[in-house]
Amino acid sequence: MSYYDIDSILTDAEKIPCTFQLDIPDLGYLDNTPTQPLKAGTKVSLPLWLAEMLVIANTGGPDNKTFVTFDLPRALGNDVVQALKADPRAVPLRDQSAHFYGLATHMMDLSEEQELGSVLRKTFVTRAAEISLHARKVGGVGTKGKGKDEGSNLGIGGAGEEFLRGLDEWERKLFRKAHDGAKAGKEWMESIKKN
Amino acid sequence: MALPLPLGLTHSEVAFLAEMELVTVVPRQRLESIDLLSGKTPPLRPPHRADLPLWLALLLKKQRRANIVPPPWLHPASLAEIVHRETKVHPQAFSEPMPTSSRARQSEPGFAGRIGGDGNGEEVTLSPPFQGNCTSSAPAGYLPYHWFEVAEALITHAGDDLGGNTSEIRGLLRDLVEVRAAKMRDSAETLGAEGQGGVVSLRGVGAMELAENRGFVLGVVDGVRKIGGAVETARREREEEMDLGGGDGDRGGYGGGGDSDDDMGI
Repeated sequence: MSYYDIDSILTDAEKIPCTFQLDIPDLGYLDNTPTQPLKAGTKVSLPLWLAEMLVIANTGGPDNKTFVTFDLPRALGNDVVQALKADPRAVPLRDQSAHFYGLATHMMDLSEEQELGSVLRKTFVTRAAEISLHARKVGGVGTKGKGKDEGSNLGIGGAGEEFLRGLDEWERKLFRKAHDGAKAGKEWMESIKKN
Repeated sequence: MALPLPLGLTHSEVAFLAEMELVTVVPRQRLESIDLLSGKTPPLRPPHRADLPLWLALLLKKQRRANIVPPPWLHPASLAEIVHRETKVHPQAFSEPMPTSSRARQSEPGFAGRIGGDGNGEEVTLSPPFQGNCTSSAPAGYLPYHWFEVAEALITHAGDDLGGNTSEIRGLLRDLVEVRAAKMRDSAETLGAEGQGGVVSLRGVGAMELAENRGFVLGVVDGVRKIGGAVETARREREEEMDLGGGDGDRGGYGGGGDSDDDMGI
């Protein structure tokens, strides 16, 4: 991940539900009570970059507590994981988070989730095969996968568009790559007939 | 990304390389040997066949100075056999690549000779463009590395030399392309299967298919790598902890820092 990678920066801005473990003065405005100190046990959504730092750092106190503890964001919650286990293709990941996989890999770095990794891996490859199928079928020049199926010879109608709309950023990049390959192939096939 | 060019060879570059493949022609006119950078072309004497690079053969074909003898694997029967093998016999794997560096002599079954080997004991190692995979003496029932490009070029520019069943050949080629594209998609799923180690075999895949799927397959590999990265570091840390924990357990406590090195040095 490069320093200038815009997707990585946007992933860092995803909100994580965190619970403060300490009373912190002058941070009350985070909980809409500007005059009070922020109480221990308050739940606040923090961006990933901040939450990560607060989770890793400890307060240096005698009990070695960390500033905050975090829960998995809703995008990686139990509901979503169960749905992914059932059928990876049926879940519109973009509705959960536009940077679903980026967020998920970050969270796996922080937490000790054994199961999440294998579920994600299976999800990614199953959906990748589906993406490749759609990328080959979307025809025409420069449609860029915005749901135009003029060159399609399979009856991909609403279902295909629905699926493509649910792709997160990683998958969109993958779609782009697969589509570029298929498009270059088509263009070459046409060029060979001309000369 | 600074360079807009995609990774690897583009389709037109692959097609350009494929033009180095040797094909067999039946000349209609005499032509003396041409001294090219890649070596001398054989002199053309009308009824005798000769092997020429594809680009030269196509040039002569367009000028009506030669007819191209299609390679045996482009025959509908051979293509149908490959389609059958790819769909029914081995529905998972790509069909075997053409045997390397040899060419079967059809007049003497069981014999194979090197193309460049002229009997003086000098071993010539030939890479795909020079293997003669597309000459009339290539074995049938295999797909050479440049199968798609050569087939398309021959169908487009030398359709009348293919025995008049261009549309049948075209249909079979279309089938093959679709079957193999589906296999390429499925390979993505095997990539992610547990215990596969993220490895997929691309043996027997043609140059044009590689050019088309390079971006996609690399994207999948990269994604699986990123997802697996966190799990992998966690697993390594756990293993290290277990190693340390085992060493401590034997001695029932800390205090033997020097000994633990011996334990781990086995």
